[in-house]
Amino acid sequence: MRSIAEINDKIRSGQVTVWTAEELKAQVATIGIQAAAARVDVVVTGTFEPMEASGAFLNLGQTDPPIKIRRCWLDGVPAYAGFGAVDLYLGASHPVEFADGEAPDEGRDRGGGHVIESLIAGRSVQLRAIGHVTDCYPRGSFETSISRDTINQFYLYNPRNLYQNFIVGVNGGDRPLNTYLGPLQPNLGNAVYVSGGALSPLLNDPELRLLGIGSRIWLAGSQGYIAWEGTQHFPLQKRLPNQTPIGPAATLALVGDAKQMQAQWVRGCYFKGYGPSLMLGVGVPLPVVDEAVVARCAVKDEEIVAPIVDFSIPRRVRPTFGLVNYAQLKSGRIEIDGKLVRTAPLTSLALSRQVSEALKLEIQQGRFLLSEAVAPLPSDRTFIPQDRWGQIGMESEP
Amino acid sequence: MPITYRLAKEFNVAANIIRAQVAPDRVGKLVVELIGDIDQMDAAMEWMESLDIDVSSANREISIDEASCVHCGLCTGVCPTGALSLHPETFRLEFARSRCVVCEQCVPTCPVQAISTSF
Repeated sequence: MRSIAEINDKIRSGQVTVWTAEELKAQVATIGIQAAAARVDVVVTGTFEPMEASGAFLNLGQTDPPIKIRRCWLDGVPAYAGFGAVDLYLGASHPVEFADGEAPDEGRDRGGGHVIESLIAGRSVQLRAIGHVTDCYPRGSFETSISRDTINQFYLYNPRNLYQNFIVGVNGGDRPLNTYLGPLQPNLGNAVYVSGGALSPLLNDPELRLLGIGSRIWLAGSQGYIAWEGTQHFPLQKRLPNQTPIGPAATLALVGDAKQMQAQWVRGCYFKGYGPSLMLGVGVPLPVVDEAVVARCAVKDEEIVAPIVDFSIPRRVRPTFGLVNYAQLKSGRIEIDGKLVRTAPLTSLALSRQVSEALKLEIQQGRFLLSEAVAPLPSDRTFIPQDRWGQIGMESEP
Repeated sequence: MPITYRLAKEFNVAANIIRAQVAPDRVGKLVVELIGDIDQMDAAMEWMESLDIDVSSANREISIDEASCVHCGLCTGVCPTGALSLHPETFRLEFARSRCVVCEQCVPTCPVQAISTSF
């Protein structure tokens, strides 16, 4: 029908037709798949949701005399320093750490995500480092303040983003639970879902046919890339006939230059009783290379389901109350065991739409070109549990 | 402890219970509207504080920082009165102040600390 190169020619000449996933679904409902596929070149999808498996690489530049950093804190949040001398990795969900006896009231609810947000917003951040003294790296410690303009590299490398579908959390027990989905009230007091459903990028390309390693994506206002399969990538999840998975499935590792990102799309967040995380806006363009692309993108909320999972049983495999579709979830009420339960999203549907609109505008203005994938994403990864604990110790017993 | 009874009997203060969360052997929470003479009101507050009851003035109200809110909607799931809701079309957060009972459950729920109480 049309190649990615042809689509890029249209983008460069300002002739491209871009629809958001929602616009495409509405068009398909009126003019049908075939006519829609003939008219649209690119379908844009977007999401804005907590993605705690995110983090930033930083390279500080060397001090004089030089230092080999082995322990480091940024605004009190520890960063990993066990590699290059002044290379750091700051994890989004690492909580702030205080020295012994220090117990400030302010800032307890901060973490790596907030520090990343501060740096992207152009604010300066306090850095405290302890070095491992060697003949070539004689400095023992270092304190300074850094900003994104005073360090060499500052890029996000997020090992697990863009979950293809997820679960719905509820609490069937009798005490309140603080979870990564926020507070879950007892006796099925509320239900929290965390996917945009039919808006969600990877549910519009369920088989990851259009995406691969090297695909250019929109990462918090910058041009980023799919770096690898995400951790816990599980494409073999059970699927409906429309190929959307019935629970958490594919994931992607994303990389992008944080110096180019916009602070409004990178927000540190904190879940009471659970910890800090990072909310990120991610947009994914899907090239309409054939009618099958449009057929997949036409999927509706009522055709995508997620399992209702009971968090009151703190096990890896928790009991479920069956499946529910996203049209029901977005209505604000679902029925579980005959009881009406309030639903709330954790994915910002309003900001997910804004991400799609921002990406659409960039493509229309010729500032964002699509890219061919360098290699496909694996479609056969299984999900391995860690059940063999204690084996080595037991074998060493006499 | 019959608090509302003693407020009425000894301080002539009427207590209109808006919300009550009370259970045996647990710390409970009452949201009450108190009506009475201003001096007797002060005495009533002092009396309650002398019983180790945490009294916080609830003529405060919830305020939402529009610049911080990301419209995730997490707060709408814990709001008991539906004062916080997502618009069914735009999915932007809406706050119906008249329905809010200032239970404050939304305050710690908000992941970006966009909700606070103010006078």
